[in-house]
Amino acid sequence: MRQEIVITGMGIISALGNNRENTLIALREQRSGIAPVARLQTIHSLPVGEVKYTDAEMMRLLHLPETAVTTRTSLLGTIAVEEALRQANIPNPAGALRIALISGTTVGGMDRSERYYFDFLTNDTQNDYLFTHNCGACTELIADHFGIFSFVDTVSTACSSAANAIMTGAQLLGSGRADIVVAGGSECLTQFHLNGFNALMILDPEPCKPFDANRAGLNLGEGAAYLVMETKRNAEKRQAKPLCGLSGYANTCDAFHQTASSPEGDGACRAMRHALAFAGLLPEDVDYINAHGTGTQNNDLSEGKAIERVFGKNIPPVSSTKAFTGHATSAAGGIEAVISILALLHNFIPVNLNFQHQIEELNFEPYSRQTPGNVRRPVNHVLSNSFGFGGNNTSLVFSKIPECGRNKIYLSSAKQISVQPPLTDSWMDAPIHCQDRYVRAVDPDYRQYFSPNEARRYGKILKRALLVSRRTLDEAGIQNPDAIITGTGFGCVENTGLFLNAMLREGEKFLQPTHFMQSTHNTIGSLIAIDRQSYGYNSTCLHKGISFECALLDAYIQLNNKQIQTALVGAHDEMTPNYYRFLRQTGYFDDCCFSGETAVAMLLSAEKGDKTLCLLEEIEMVYTGNITEYQFLNDFRFLKESDEIDAVMTGIGGNRANDAVYRDICSALFPNKKLLRYKHLFGESYTAPAFGVYAAAICLLQQRIPAHLFTDPGNGEQKGIKKILCYSQFEGKTHSFILLSSC
Amino acid sequence: MEHLILRLKEEIIEVLNLEDIKPEDIDDNAPLIGDGLGLDSIDVLELIVLLGKNYGINVKEASQGREIFQSVRVMAEYIRANRTK
Repeated sequence: MRQEIVITGMGIISALGNNRENTLIALREQRSGIAPVARLQTIHSLPVGEVKYTDAEMMRLLHLPETAVTTRTSLLGTIAVEEALRQANIPNPAGALRIALISGTTVGGMDRSERYYFDFLTNDTQNDYLFTHNCGACTELIADHFGIFSFVDTVSTACSSAANAIMTGAQLLGSGRADIVVAGGSECLTQFHLNGFNALMILDPEPCKPFDANRAGLNLGEGAAYLVMETKRNAEKRQAKPLCGLSGYANTCDAFHQTASSPEGDGACRAMRHALAFAGLLPEDVDYINAHGTGTQNNDLSEGKAIERVFGKNIPPVSSTKAFTGHATSAAGGIEAVISILALLHNFIPVNLNFQHQIEELNFEPYSRQTPGNVRRPVNHVLSNSFGFGGNNTSLVFSKIPECGRNKIYLSSAKQISVQPPLTDSWMDAPIHCQDRYVRAVDPDYRQYFSPNEARRYGKILKRALLVSRRTLDEAGIQNPDAIITGTGFGCVENTGLFLNAMLREGEKFLQPTHFMQSTHNTIGSLIAIDRQSYGYNSTCLHKGISFECALLDAYIQLNNKQIQTALVGAHDEMTPNYYRFLRQTGYFDDCCFSGETAVAMLLSAEKGDKTLCLLEEIEMVYTGNITEYQFLNDFRFLKESDEIDAVMTGIGGNRANDAVYRDICSALFPNKKLLRYKHLFGESYTAPAFGVYAAAICLLQQRIPAHLFTDPGNGEQKGIKKILCYSQFEGKTHSFILLSSC
Repeated sequence: MEHLILRLKEEIIEVLNLEDIKPEDIDDNAPLIGDGLGLDSIDVLELIVLLGKNYGINVKEASQGREIFQSVRVMAEYIRANRTK
């Protein structure tokens, strides 16, 4: 089984500053760290992203003695790792925790080698620095500073090194060989690689302009950044708060050229696609792409083409942050991972600085100062690209994850049409008790809600669904919910019946398209979407007596994952004389119960509004099949806290067999709880549990349960209620528990 | 012809469930689709079913509908020329 990897800490040092906070401020203030070269000894007067500390200053920051053997790469790395470990609250000593350090670097100790090269050749005074030349030595210098690591590894794949270190870290965690991995990269500026890039003629003598038509190359940068990674289980075990998840990663090779990317970005395209597939995400799920975007002619065009191939016409905001930091080569993947996570945590999109003109061959431009509609928006999934020489393409996907514990989900508004006076909750005090066995909803005059042209075609289920949905959304002040999820137990039986009847009685020749069109189950949800012009998630659940609960669960999970902010959940069922007859024959309806029709809509929301009815605390569902030993249902975690539950809303009031099962289970699970009912008012249908939730929500809002809702009405009205558990079962096989509380 | 037009109007009202509309509300020469009665592509399909069911006319392509349903009068003329029952 694949382990979920979470990030519990991060540290960064770059031209933007020596910690997360400075980095965030600079990104938000759109302040670049690139300046004319100052610290590095070179004849080239080029703009670079230098860290604004000398080696001696960094040694003082780390309380190292002046004589300590270090490299600039190790010093940068140590500062970043320290910040990451502190945020993740990693204990030192580590005790039984197996902690790994996986670092990406290519330059390694080259800065010291440059400085002492002639000493190496001529004397033994600087031999210590012969040892630090190796990339792995820099990693060990970092590791030894803390003394908590029991595994070290160094990845060196040029400009994708840090991203590959993070990927390696994820795999190490997945294999169970480490409890915690600190992964990222460190790279200092050196004469060596500055000249190397200069020789390749890919350095811009001006501040770099990623994704600009007039881009002229990159500016080098330096820095270090690391993530503390662990499995979700490990984080939970040590009560560490995850910042986000590493939901996907992939590395592919262009196999095209030693330095250049393929013109159509084949490898980049594959890396992004594989990473998204690994994360189980679609391109449209990505809210921001932190591009590799070096500013070279080749990279930006190739990467841009690859982005177009993966994302088609709906390209999310794309920016390269290298005009802020410079290209920190092997550390870039770590620095940009941290920037991506900052964007995720603070819901902002870093701009692509210095952009003016769109690249002619591309059909998109990066997210820049001039992008219209530059507004705050939720950032849930970020794709971060790191491409290295050798066509080494790595894409990482960082995703928000539900925090430890549950998110608050509110039932923001709810409306119903039933046998009760339609569109009001006067049933609380003036309930109409069902009289006939065949109960039909009392429809309002729809002509005031729909034009004749709309009304003439819709069956009653559609009119009711549209009306309660409109009223629910309007009351909550929501034009377009993020998701429209419909539960229907029978579907559109009226039109289904008309079509089936005509086909079987009159033959297959002159069947009416309207009937067929409105026999499909999801026509309800699609019509609501058409009515509101809602282009988001739209789904329909049709599973016998748990259709509504399935829809509610779908909404709950998406809200809890913060994939959506609002969901319209509907429960819609209609009854016809024929269908009533069929259900009498199956025993679902007997001479004890009232057959009802359901039209309930409720808006679930991540935020509390003026009209909010209650909190939807939890929903649990279980299939017990033919097992009739219900004791194990006691395992439900929120039943264990059942002392706080004031009453249990049940589906008692259906057929005889149904009521017997309810009484059996309720006496086992809730022996001391007062039981509530709703079917005497709203009738029985497959989606009737929606009435139970609706009625419980109104009770919680009004802080009282009227006497007629109790299975034993002699109790009288109960006031001052906090929690109602809605329990429903169907055929004794499917069970749902929905916990609501006042808010 | 006038008898056929009246009968056709009653049939259209019934099959398309045009509540609140009486035969005299429908202008013989006004377009049925779009502007006039505001009918759409699904209604065109419904009217094609009506032609088949009540007049024995087999319309093969939905695209023919636009021509046939220009107005009630055009529709009536089409029926008179093509009806098989």
